[in-house]
Amino acid sequence: MKINKTNLRILSLAIASTSLTWILNHQLGLGPIVANGLVGVAAAIFMPGALAGIAYTSSFVGMSSLTVLPSVLFALVGGLIAGFIIITTAEIYAGIGGKGGTTAAAAALVTRAISGLLG
Amino acid sequence: MNTLTIISTAIAAGVATYFIANNLKKGAVLASASVTLVSGIIFPYFFPAMGSTLMVVAACASYGGMVSRKNAPTLLDMVMISAIIGLLFTITATSYAGIGGRLGTIAAISCFAWLGLKNSAKAASRARKSDFLSKSVGIWQ
Repeated sequence: MKINKTNLRILSLAIASTSLTWILNHQLGLGPIVANGLVGVAAAIFMPGALAGIAYTSSFVGMSSLTVLPSVLFALVGGLIAGFIIITTAEIYAGIGGKGGTTAAAAALVTRAISGLLG
Repeated sequence: MNTLTIISTAIAAGVATYFIANNLKKGAVLASASVTLVSGIIFPYFFPAMGSTLMVVAACASYGGMVSRKNAPTLLDMVMISAIIGLLFTITATSYAGIGGRLGTIAAISCFAWLGLKNSAKAASRARKSDFLSKSVGIWQ
């Protein structure tokens, strides 16, 4: 993976989107569905197509329960991992509904493994 | 009865997302996010008993509704994908609970399942036709 401006933007966006969804979900108590919906609508309105898709995909990670993402720090890590997966799998299975969710699930599982290791 | 309600909700949400994304041309993200948001607000309010389950089903189906027109050319394809989503959701209700992206994974599996079924049916149909032709040629020889 090349570290260029585009990839750095994707990683930043993924981290921000995951963390924001986590905060709306757990700290504001809106729940995962409303949190994801809000972030998705905002991303679709304020960002161009590809970036909105990245923000929405990353938002799925932030829907995880506190068992998986116990704090906003883990949400940041989850967003970072989601960003890496998005960058490296961009062209695979494009156009399949739920591909973003599968990406997010992979990121969430890796983050859970990390949080398990750190106790 | 609950399974039927879940499958019906999935079909409604999936078709709504597909329609908003492709027919109204609002894009997949806005379509799915708006269906998800509306479901999250409406279902718990109007259906206190099953509302929390139905909003999750609707969100899951909306992720499936983000499928491209290339892979799901008609609304019927979306109906079938959504029905599979509803069924899979019921079957996998307690698996990997709490993992963000689980619903999207269910949606992706449902898309692949329907595409696989369609392609298999087409291949079987072509095989039957070619078998018919080769038998027909045999008769006239």
